[in-house]
Amino acid sequence: MNFCMYDKSRLMNISNAFSRRSFLEHNAMGVGSVALAWLMQQDAARSVPPVIKQKPVTDLKPRQPQFEPQARAMISLFQHGGPSHMDLTDPKPELTKFSGTDYPGDIQFSFVNQASKKLLGSPFRFRKHGQCGTEISELLPHTAGIVDDICLIRSMHTGANGHEVSIRYFHGGIPAVLGRPHLASWLLYALGSESQDLPAYMVMTDPGGQPVDGVNNWSNGFMPPLFQGTVLRPKEPRILNLAAPSHLQGTLQEQNLAFLQKLNARHLQQSGGDADLEARIASYELAARMQTAATEALDISKETQATQTLYGLDNDATREYGTRCLIARRLVERGVRFIQLFLGGQPWDNHGSIRTALPAVCKRVDQPAAALVTDLKQRGMLDSTIVHWGGEIGRLPVTQVMGDPAAAGRDHNGQGFSIWMAGGGIKGGMAYGTTDEFGHRAVENIVTPNDYQATLMSLFGLDHSQVIYHHNGQPQTITANRAAKVVTDILKSAPIT
Amino acid sequence: MIIHDFAQKLVVCSLLCVTLIFENVTANAGELTFERDIRPILRAHCFDCHGATDKPKGGLDLRQVRKMQTGGDSGTAVVPGNADASLMLQRVVSKEMPPGEMKLTDKEIETLSIWIRSGAKISRPEPENIPPGLGITPEERAFWSFQPIVRHAEPEVAEPVRGRVRNPTDAFLLAQMPEGLTFADDADRPTLILRSHFDLTGMPPSAAELQQWINDPSEDWYVRLIDSLLASPNYGERWGRHWLDVAGYADSDGYTVSDPERPWAWKYRDYVIRSFNADKPFDRFIAEQLAGDELAGPQQGDLTAEQIELLSATGYLRMAADGTGSGEDNPTGRNQTIGDTIKIVSTSLMGLSVGCAQCHDHRYDPIPQTDYFAMRAVFAPAMDWQNWKVPSQRLMTLYTEADRKKAAEVSAEAAIIGTERAAKQAEYMAQAIEKELLKYEEPLRATLKEAYESEAAKRTPEQAELLKKYPSVNISPGVLYQYLPEAAEDLKKFDARIAEVNAKRPAEEFLAVLTEPAGHLPETHLFHRGDFQQPLAVVPPAALTVACPEDARVEFLTDDPSLPTSGRRMAFAKWLTSRDNPLVARVIANRIWLHHFGKGLVPTPADFGRLGVPPTHPELLDWLADEFIQNGWSVKHLHRIILSSTAWRQSSRRTAMHDALDPDNRFYSRQAITRLDAELVRDRMLATSGRLNPQQFGAPAPITEDDAGQVVIDDNETRRSLYVKVRRSQPVAMLQSFDAPVMEVNCENRPVSTVATQSLMLMNSGSILNHAAKLAERCRAEATAIPDDQLANLPTLPAPPHEVWQYGYGDYDETSKQTASFTPLAHFTGSQWQASSTLPDPMLGYALLHAAGGHPDQPGRAVIRRWVAPVSGTLTVSGSLQHGSPNGDGVRARVVSSRAAQQGNGLLGEWTCFNSKVDCPAAATAVEAGDTIDLIVDCLAANTSDSFQWTAKITLTTVDGMVRTFDSAADFHGPPVSREVLVGQITKAWQLAYSRNPDPADLIAAMDFMADQIGYLHIHRDHIPSGLTESQQALTDLCQVLLTSNEFLYVR
Repeated sequence: MNFCMYDKSRLMNISNAFSRRSFLEHNAMGVGSVALAWLMQQDAARSVPPVIKQKPVTDLKPRQPQFEPQARAMISLFQHGGPSHMDLTDPKPELTKFSGTDYPGDIQFSFVNQASKKLLGSPFRFRKHGQCGTEISELLPHTAGIVDDICLIRSMHTGANGHEVSIRYFHGGIPAVLGRPHLASWLLYALGSESQDLPAYMVMTDPGGQPVDGVNNWSNGFMPPLFQGTVLRPKEPRILNLAAPSHLQGTLQEQNLAFLQKLNARHLQQSGGDADLEARIASYELAARMQTAATEALDISKETQATQTLYGLDNDATREYGTRCLIARRLVERGVRFIQLFLGGQPWDNHGSIRTALPAVCKRVDQPAAALVTDLKQRGMLDSTIVHWGGEIGRLPVTQVMGDPAAAGRDHNGQGFSIWMAGGGIKGGMAYGTTDEFGHRAVENIVTPNDYQATLMSLFGLDHSQVIYHHNGQPQTITANRAAKVVTDILKSAPIT
Repeated sequence: MIIHDFAQKLVVCSLLCVTLIFENVTANAGELTFERDIRPILRAHCFDCHGATDKPKGGLDLRQVRKMQTGGDSGTAVVPGNADASLMLQRVVSKEMPPGEMKLTDKEIETLSIWIRSGAKISRPEPENIPPGLGITPEERAFWSFQPIVRHAEPEVAEPVRGRVRNPTDAFLLAQMPEGLTFADDADRPTLILRSHFDLTGMPPSAAELQQWINDPSEDWYVRLIDSLLASPNYGERWGRHWLDVAGYADSDGYTVSDPERPWAWKYRDYVIRSFNADKPFDRFIAEQLAGDELAGPQQGDLTAEQIELLSATGYLRMAADGTGSGEDNPTGRNQTIGDTIKIVSTSLMGLSVGCAQCHDHRYDPIPQTDYFAMRAVFAPAMDWQNWKVPSQRLMTLYTEADRKKAAEVSAEAAIIGTERAAKQAEYMAQAIEKELLKYEEPLRATLKEAYESEAAKRTPEQAELLKKYPSVNISPGVLYQYLPEAAEDLKKFDARIAEVNAKRPAEEFLAVLTEPAGHLPETHLFHRGDFQQPLAVVPPAALTVACPEDARVEFLTDDPSLPTSGRRMAFAKWLTSRDNPLVARVIANRIWLHHFGKGLVPTPADFGRLGVPPTHPELLDWLADEFIQNGWSVKHLHRIILSSTAWRQSSRRTAMHDALDPDNRFYSRQAITRLDAELVRDRMLATSGRLNPQQFGAPAPITEDDAGQVVIDDNETRRSLYVKVRRSQPVAMLQSFDAPVMEVNCENRPVSTVATQSLMLMNSGSILNHAAKLAERCRAEATAIPDDQLANLPTLPAPPHEVWQYGYGDYDETSKQTASFTPLAHFTGSQWQASSTLPDPMLGYALLHAAGGHPDQPGRAVIRRWVAPVSGTLTVSGSLQHGSPNGDGVRARVVSSRAAQQGNGLLGEWTCFNSKVDCPAAATAVEAGDTIDLIVDCLAANTSDSFQWTAKITLTTVDGMVRTFDSAADFHGPPVSREVLVGQITKAWQLAYSRNPDPADLIAAMDFMADQIGYLHIHRDHIPSGLTESQQALTDLCQVLLTSNEFLYVR
């Protein structure tokens, strides 16, 4: 008697058959799109040409970019609150020189009641680093160590001081406006998923709580929920309910899922097809594979001691953020397209006590962020993976008075600030753009969030103005038909379109 | 963390509003006018400095073209026809203006430029002088949502679709459909019955109810169905929950990390449910929530039931997050709460982001900052930031005079017993000390007595020292029991009596209310930039200017002389619900539509302003709003209208027509397929497994954190989910996962997400598994076997693999050393196998087998416990045989292998046992799948007193090295479930989960599944949770699949 009929291929066979059938029935709106994507990969990888302009897609199967891509994945280390560029990345000798005197021009304050025009020179020292000689503050010694691998943009500009206004600008393409898909959603929409076992877009939040603007930081906006970020819990278990209870593990659950999908397929057929029903079916298939794939991906115990030390896992200050950076690398290795790391609240929002508060947050973030770049590089992954580090705004060169002078800080500044990017076709060892002599306004080679989006899309082999999603009868793009340029100066090679 | 950084929220909000940009300005060459095209740009970017203030910056006032031409300190701003000479254009092009943050977009600059070049046209003459401020222009006033609600005539619809018009709703929708598009076919009756149930009550019909409506032969079955659902008490729960979203309902204060509980918020929740159930006219519902205290009038004696109802309604104004009870009772915290309350009022009732005008005139909608503060003035007497009531001070007791009297009586009665107790205790203390002192000789005894009896504070140092030295003398009431145990027992009786008396005290309940002190009329100042530290002019209470007829702004009396309170909120409510108000009826009608179709006619239900999306079907919206008002603001009337429309009754099935003409369903050419709301997912599971506690109202069900730190509902708590505690900082994981709102302020529209983590929860979480197990239990209990004639039409259930354990009787052949015969015992009592239902059986006497052992019949009729090898391997047998009677001659046990017998000797072991216990190990032996190991017990010579116990464990090592153990006691089972029973259980599961019978294809799939599962579990017994059989576990798994399937989670 053959008792080996319950082998693992059974579930897959069932769902494959079912996907093939549905595919024929529903054409590109196919059922169980993730399973379908898996099929497509098995059969003839990337056989589908880009059809984004003509017809919206509602699946995650891998799609050809529009031109030769440099990057296939991105990790965004978002620094909520507005890191103080004059104290970290953008040295201003004039500001130091005139510290304590009045700023000569107009300043838009957020905290009017605490506003002052007294310039505040940075209390922190800058030094040149690397072959490129870019100056970096003493607060970021590890970032200083990778300065030849990163491109530091010192001329970011949102034009708005508000946190949410600028956050939404960075994520969704229009200042302040809610309900737009995140850049990552656009990438998924255009390119599909590389991984058939893990969500293509993952979000890692902080044990200290959600970032400011909460779930809007990874919203799929008006796109289908298929393109939404999947949030990992900030502590173990990072994905709840990832493991089946012991008695269901293995064949029994495979049988359950095969039966479930059989019922769902009949139900879908009777419904005449529906995007939400299809998405739910796909989400079960993904969940089933995630059970093994994600468990393995999130297990950092197999990493060498040297790697763990690199990320600062042996240190209380850096362990938490370092662990998440390391997990991010493991996820990229396994085909995840886009990963966002957030800090709780907005720790860079140093309105007060900047002398003590700023070093504390630097200590948490500096080493792990630099380790991520180093690690990706030594594994040969940096060429295809973009790392982004930056907040939504910067800070003002003048003092924000909080009573006690020792408690002085800096108010918001969307007129000029710094971010850095590395890998995936970005030039290393480069500082790009400048702010004025005090660091208030970006003055040369100004980069807006729309430019940032256009540039990133081009690294992924996409023309931001040609990746179109129709919503309410209107063609929509990530840059919302606003002025946006690919910043070719910071690319290793110009995109061949 | 939702409660982050509240201190800065006000500022953040103001910045947000400052910089919102408006994208939809399109340049339309040749026809541009100042009023229509240019002023909105200037309003968004320039008026702050050049128009809104009394003294424009640089002397430049941009509110009129004539003033632009005059210019300011730097000269002429605009020269019509000459863009190059227009300073204003130069400044914006060079980005010099506006200063700071947001610049004009290229499109806006282009619009300005074209307008100037084409002559800077105005559409009407500009007056010489205009009053200060931005005012409201005719163009702004002309915005759709500020127009009076007009009842348009029902559009003419031509044949052949004319026949699809059931009421004007359909005509309005059809009129807008493009050529070739029409409604989908009507949905079938079962679909309609299910859909209307979930839509109106959120509860599934039972299979019987469904069948009853399906079979209803009368013409008006549908009308009666809708009527019965609208009359259901569950209706108010379903629709009340929708309203609680926009009202921002929560059972905690939020704002600070401690997020203290709001113990009486649920009284408002219950009020909302009751109001919907009663179909309270919505204008009255609004008035009660805004001014219930003023409507209730002063309290005279006990609160009347009506007063309680009206005061409960004011809970609406106490829904905002509020940190003033948890450490943030400061001006920032207080003003934040007032701001959030105004946001809740304005988004839920007026559909406008009035809050944007807190710091400055609204950038896009014609809402001046003064209007914001005029609205704030409405609430100022009751919510005065300078005379603030923290949450604990808002509680109003529901004690009646009789309650109070009763409580006093109870206290008095308890006090009497207390006095008795004190006297008795004193008596015992005296006894105890007397007894203790006897242990000491005089004169020490007297000295100790004196020291003890002195008041503690007045003891001399010597006395104190003495008592320290002889601590056992220092008897206190707390240690009395150590000296006189019986005294302590006696005193406990007093305590019990006191507790008993106190229990008679009436429970005291409270309402968290908003009330207004009589004659309290604080002035409301406009705050410069929204900053309470910069108060400017006093603003009197008034209505939104733009929502009033031109030049007829409604101002409310500062103090209504006919009321002890100011009457402002009552006046405000009256204005909101007056026939002329263009917003409220539209907003509410749109919300009702939204919950019936999954999207609003205005897709942004809380923003009817320029940043919102205009209505897709404006005439239909107006018609519904008018119908609503004309029918006494009856929500149920609107439900009837909508549910009787073809639009609502049509099928959700997508066809080629839809793909071609209406892929996004913008024209309502089919019904939406909607996922159950978070609460309904859980409610439906509870209802399905029969565990739903129908109890309505009352204090919220508690929540806890599980080991993984996720917030869960206690499994024994089975009321509907809207009764689960809403703690802002502790959203229930399962509900949040399915998009239940986390209340920061309020929830204007829920998103619907589909993510893998939801699937993981449905597959693996303990709570879902528990729902499935409970449903399976119910199926077993309530299933009826399927009659033979029906079974005959069903597919054959694949034969299950051999039962691993079989129970029978027979004989052992000593010559051939093998089992000579094996006949299954025919009857299972529930705990043991025997020959028939009677014991002793006429033929087989006391032959029986149970989990632990059994009893053989006479010689030649041994009992045999047979084990059939499910797979090949090598096995050992262990265990012990016990015979416990001094009577008779004991029993004999044998272990016999069928494979070994083929090789000549099947006997692996033989033992006899009489009133004793022996071990019965059998050495390793090989088996092939299907071979048997028989555990045979016979009676020796006499078959009296032959009860035995024999628990055997078979340890099988398979060829691939897996080790499995089979335990004769633990694995003991009755007969396998018959096909009749199994089909009955599956059918029941279908009826309960889907409210319908399984069709043949369903049954084939289900029975294939059951066979697979049972087959697997036969072998892998370690996958069966203790206490279940294979088929029970398989049924649980089947139930889980049903509960997590799309047919369960979605409504068609």
